[in-house]
Amino acid sequence: MLLFRSEEHIARWCARRELPRGGTMTPEQAWRLARAWYAGKLEADWRRKTAEEAEAVFAELGLTGSFWNLR
Amino acid sequence: MDASEVQELDRAVRLHVFRRAADTGVVPQLPEIASALAQPVETIDASLRRLAEGRVLVLAPGASSIWMANPFSAVPTDFKVTSRGRTYFGNCIWDALGIPAILGADGLVDALCGDCREPMRIEVRGGGSRGEGIVHFAVPAKRWWVNIGFT
Repeated sequence: MLLFRSEEHIARWCARRELPRGGTMTPEQAWRLARAWYAGKLEADWRRKTAEEAEAVFAELGLTGSFWNLR
Repeated sequence: MDASEVQELDRAVRLHVFRRAADTGVVPQLPEIASALAQPVETIDASLRRLAEGRVLVLAPGASSIWMANPFSAVPTDFKVTSRGRTYFGNCIWDALGIPAILGADGLVDALCGDCREPMRIEVRGGGSRGEGIVHFAVPAKRWWVNIGFT
């Protein structure tokens, strides 16, 4: 997961690697995703999210569609 | 060790690794973890492999050294984070933002554009963030763990 200056920079990066454009989000969405993902990982009772829980986090952030499916 | 002792050991190893990384900015490695938990190196090695199997952390290919204790990177990367007066490295932009998140603190993420390598910054302050650019995920979610290094 990389940060790019603009869509043009993403397109150039993908073209060089012959990869299709993937999924994108704003830095604010990425911050909210990071907070949902990692807050609490220093606690004794932390556990990995299930696929269902992770997909629910993506959906709350507006990340929907097959690209964000884990199953 | 019975199953509950294994589970307890793995939890102690996990907490040591992540809390040590959070407190120092350095991801501890096998000998240090074994010493800190007063356990044989072989016991901790097996625990790290179970944690890697459970995708709690990532070992370097073919080795027992920790590569990623996500969000923390054990090695310098293009995603430098300054928070609580310390320097950390994230594995990717998501993980870099995960460092202020796991610390529950403000932070500055200094990254490079994946294309042109121009410096870019995202600031996390007071529970919100401010920054420019677009975050791009090249790999669909279902395949993130096929090659987590590339992801």
